[in-house]
Amino acid sequence: MRIVESSVSTPEQSRTLKSMFEARKQVFVDLLKWDVPVVDGRFELDQFDDEDAIYVIVAGLEGQHLGSARLLGTTRPHILGELYPTLCAGPVPTGPDTFEITRFCLGLGQGAARRRETRNRLVSALVSTALEHGIRRYTGVAEMSWLQQILAFGWDCRPLGPPCAIGGSLLGALEIAITEQTPRLLEANGIWVSDDLRNGSFAEAA
Amino acid sequence: MFDRVDGFVREVGGLETEEALAGALARVTLDLGYRYFALTHHVDVGRTRAAIRIHNYPREWARWFDEQKLGQTDPVHRASHMTSIGFPWSCLDRLIALSGRDREILEAAREQGIGDGFTVPAHVPGEAHGSVSFAAGPGEGPDSATFPLMQLVGAFSFEAARRIRRLREPPPLLPRLTERQRECVTWAARGKSDWEISRILGLSHETVIQHLKEARERYGVPKRTLLTVHALFDGTIAFFDVLRR
Repeated sequence: MRIVESSVSTPEQSRTLKSMFEARKQVFVDLLKWDVPVVDGRFELDQFDDEDAIYVIVAGLEGQHLGSARLLGTTRPHILGELYPTLCAGPVPTGPDTFEITRFCLGLGQGAARRRETRNRLVSALVSTALEHGIRRYTGVAEMSWLQQILAFGWDCRPLGPPCAIGGSLLGALEIAITEQTPRLLEANGIWVSDDLRNGSFAEAA
Repeated sequence: MFDRVDGFVREVGGLETEEALAGALARVTLDLGYRYFALTHHVDVGRTRAAIRIHNYPREWARWFDEQKLGQTDPVHRASHMTSIGFPWSCLDRLIALSGRDREILEAAREQGIGDGFTVPAHVPGEAHGSVSFAAGPGEGPDSATFPLMQLVGAFSFEAARRIRRLREPPPLLPRLTERQRECVTWAARGKSDWEISRILGLSHETVIQHLKEARERYGVPKRTLLTVHALFDGTIAFFDVLRR
């Protein structure tokens, strides 16, 4: 288990992780009614939350979770490969430079403006993380109701196959190419938050 | 058929003009078994400079549509505000209550040679609602097997149109409110008077008046009703915050 968003100091990390699993339960189980396991009635954790999962977390000044995403390597079991390979028209994209974005989560109760800031910081952190760690491609399974917003971030995104109605929602598989140009693409859409701003006191700026 | 969509997505990613996008859309529309497409923001296009509209509907129909100022009231457009994924027009009456006027509009479209169709809503927070529609010719029914593909064609073409428009003119900066101004606007949206807001937030009456005045100035609007609509529209305040008890 690894946290890569560096604004969280080490002693705060377990608190941040805990509040992330709580926020995931509030968002995915309580709000979106996903049928996923809940631990202790408070935390959403599944079989992919293991020691190799990587978490990109945007946290407030006290280390509390604001937004997060889970990255799974595609050379290990991951959601597209294990659960939804049929969403890909061709083979499921895998490789050491390909990671899957899962559990993209914006914590509740932030208000619309703060929520948008958290979203921008999280998307920017995902891109920075990729650039720092040699990740050239993200994949992911998305509800098509979010597709327009995912595309509007401005990054280079492609469908991997036709969407399918599964469990009451229309799901589709996407891939996002990450290059040195990606921050510029996000910037043109007002999404990009530079590393300096993300790691400073940005969360508290009014 | 997915290969055709994949090719379309790769093609539109590099286009730089609305004309080129219109050509690409016309070709993919035909290849997937439809005749017409319309990619549009749901506004009165004649009055809004920044709005996108690209289509290949019959010219007579487009003219009538504009004369009737149907951009915001068209039943297909209204229905697309009720859902975030695509829908066939045969399901319209499950999404909205169709008035007599709506049925006239649908009938007029049929007379102009526009058959059944499929519409993909395109909502980007802080921007006008939009949609991308695909229509078959008269008496032709769209093949429901194409619906998931049209979902992709719609979303990716709408994003291409946004990108192309941005090449032409950069998006305006969103007005930003201070946290206090935002709180005052949220309470104003809930119907509270300046005095009531001052009690709720523990501020002086004059301070609340000042906060809302400055918020109106930042949006360049004269009235508090317009202020709350604008702040809701661009996501500065959320329906969730206004409606929760």
